[in-house]
Amino acid sequence: MTRISGTYLAKRIVVSYLTLLVIMSLLFVLLRSMPGSFIQGMITPGMTAEQIERIRQEWGLNEPLWKQYINFMVNYQTGNFGRSPTQNTEVWSLIVRRMPRTIVLFGSVFIVGFVIGPLVGMYLGWWRGSTKDKGIFSSSLFVYSMPAFWISWLFIWVFNYELDWLPSAFMFTQYPEFEWTAFTIMRDVLYHMALPMLSLTFIGWVGSMLVMRPTMNNVTDEGYVFLARAKGLSERTVMIKHAARNALIPVVTGAIVSLAFLIDGSVIVEQVFSWPGMGALIISAVLSRDFPTAQAAFFMIAVLVVVMRLLTDVVYTYLDPRIKFGENN
Amino acid sequence: MATDNQDTSNLDSFKRRWEPRIERFRRSWDRFTEHKMGVIGLVILVVYAVWSIIPGVFAPHSLEWVAYLGEPPHNARLTGEQIRSLPHPPAFGDPFFAPLGTNQAGEGILTLVVHSASTAMYIGLAAGLLSSLVGVPLGLISGFYGDTWIDETIQRIVDVMYGLPFLPFLIVLVAVRGINTTNIIIGIAVTSWLNNCIVIRGETLSLRERSFVESAKVAGASDTRIMFRHIMPSVLPLSFVYLASDAAGAVIAQASLAYLGLADFTADSWGIMLQNIQAEGYVFDAWWWLIPPGLAITLLATAFYFVGFSMEDVTNPQRDS
Repeated sequence: MTRISGTYLAKRIVVSYLTLLVIMSLLFVLLRSMPGSFIQGMITPGMTAEQIERIRQEWGLNEPLWKQYINFMVNYQTGNFGRSPTQNTEVWSLIVRRMPRTIVLFGSVFIVGFVIGPLVGMYLGWWRGSTKDKGIFSSSLFVYSMPAFWISWLFIWVFNYELDWLPSAFMFTQYPEFEWTAFTIMRDVLYHMALPMLSLTFIGWVGSMLVMRPTMNNVTDEGYVFLARAKGLSERTVMIKHAARNALIPVVTGAIVSLAFLIDGSVIVEQVFSWPGMGALIISAVLSRDFPTAQAAFFMIAVLVVVMRLLTDVVYTYLDPRIKFGENN
Repeated sequence: MATDNQDTSNLDSFKRRWEPRIERFRRSWDRFTEHKMGVIGLVILVVYAVWSIIPGVFAPHSLEWVAYLGEPPHNARLTGEQIRSLPHPPAFGDPFFAPLGTNQAGEGILTLVVHSASTAMYIGLAAGLLSSLVGVPLGLISGFYGDTWIDETIQRIVDVMYGLPFLPFLIVLVAVRGINTTNIIIGIAVTSWLNNCIVIRGETLSLRERSFVESAKVAGASDTRIMFRHIMPSVLPLSFVYLASDAAGAVIAQASLAYLGLADFTADSWGIMLQNIQAEGYVFDAWWWLIPPGLAITLLATAFYFVGFSMEDVTNPQRDS
């Protein structure tokens, strides 16, 4: 059943790895070309030149650039991300603490968006050109055009400030007598997650809808849809069982695009809701010139995207028997 | 010097050359106007364009106008009570006329919204055009030489760029090059040509198998000629769709950057207005200040999307059931 050849897979993995190396090099150049240095915060006006020299030595800034680069590349691949100069902890432990928080919030947004988006796209694509399609499609584009932080503000304003239903900041209730059991933690996180999730999903589902709608429309002309209709199956069955299943394939690849959108959304929305995740970490790290942390966070996202891209190509071949990779190589 | 005779013959050949194109354009226009969506988008764009060219006609006041004091020269200062009443909700008549209220500094919201249209239009169109100028040729080349090292190289570059998250990357880029509108546009364009390139590549891959490319090849046309004279006209409409959505994305991205404090504060923009309301701490107390700039951004981005998706229908007529 394997439609994907081993050599092709091996080649893709090697290329993905090389891509990652290039991204890392780019990160190295970019972050070092930013004005300011990350040790500036540690230097106080009263320091002697010697002390400053010692700090530079300590953070490896006195070594030649090529050596810094080699160190960076080697260290990262052995999982040594260095220390954060502003937080004074291992960068790795920072990321390990932040990553699950982002995954919890954005994973759920991703999943909910990927149920709603293709479903709506399916209906709109099937009845393309109808009043229903025009109305829903144009209003979803309107929603899609809203700046994420602005819509978050509106949601906080209504649901937190005016109605006081949902909390608008942080991930946990901040009081000392909080009982830390698994159940209360879960309930508390869900409660705090509701508003950011609502704001993100409000915009986020449109991305997958935009991919689903035209592909759904394209399969309406396919032979197997005619056949299914001719068999006397109901319109609903034809749409869901025969057309939608095949139209879903490009949506899977489209997931990558919307994943990138989610990471961007995370940067802004985590900031608005004081959600202590990766997005907030990146922004604060970049703005405070905490280059070791910023670099590591960028790196983690790059790994995620590269791996996901590789995965979609593999999944793709299993979903659509017509696609075969590595045939002409 | 051209004589009358030459003039008319020039005109004739001009007519002969352009008539089919005008006819084609008219047919596309008819299809385009069939969709209310595209027309609404176009109307919004025209309104914003007019605002950006002659803001003075539509804004109730000049940018120097201050609540209570009016237009400069000001020969008085705001009293403590007046300062405490700012930001002021929408007020008509005496002592001032501010249809959408004022902000903390006493500037009229409507005035700012109208005057900010030019920045947004500029950023949207420039970033959209730039990313098309990069994405379309690269997509064409990549698709035309599909499955060769050229295609492979371009696609790996796209992969690398995909691995960098858009907004954080933009923040670094803007921080490196300095925060001004031009650099923000370049930053947005650098990160947004990817989709353009991928879609054009896919389209070119299928187009290059068509017979008209085959016949051009047989006729001895060079690769460059085939790409840009034969294939490009067919993918250009599609690239307009992506130009429109890149423009929409750019407008939203600029607002997001402004929210994070990374925007050109010398240029009036809707993003800056929203940044200001946050900095002054009136997000939940001054709805008349919160809603208009966000709505202006949303409407402009919507207009770009509307025009883009109607263009898609024009270029790719689907069965209307």
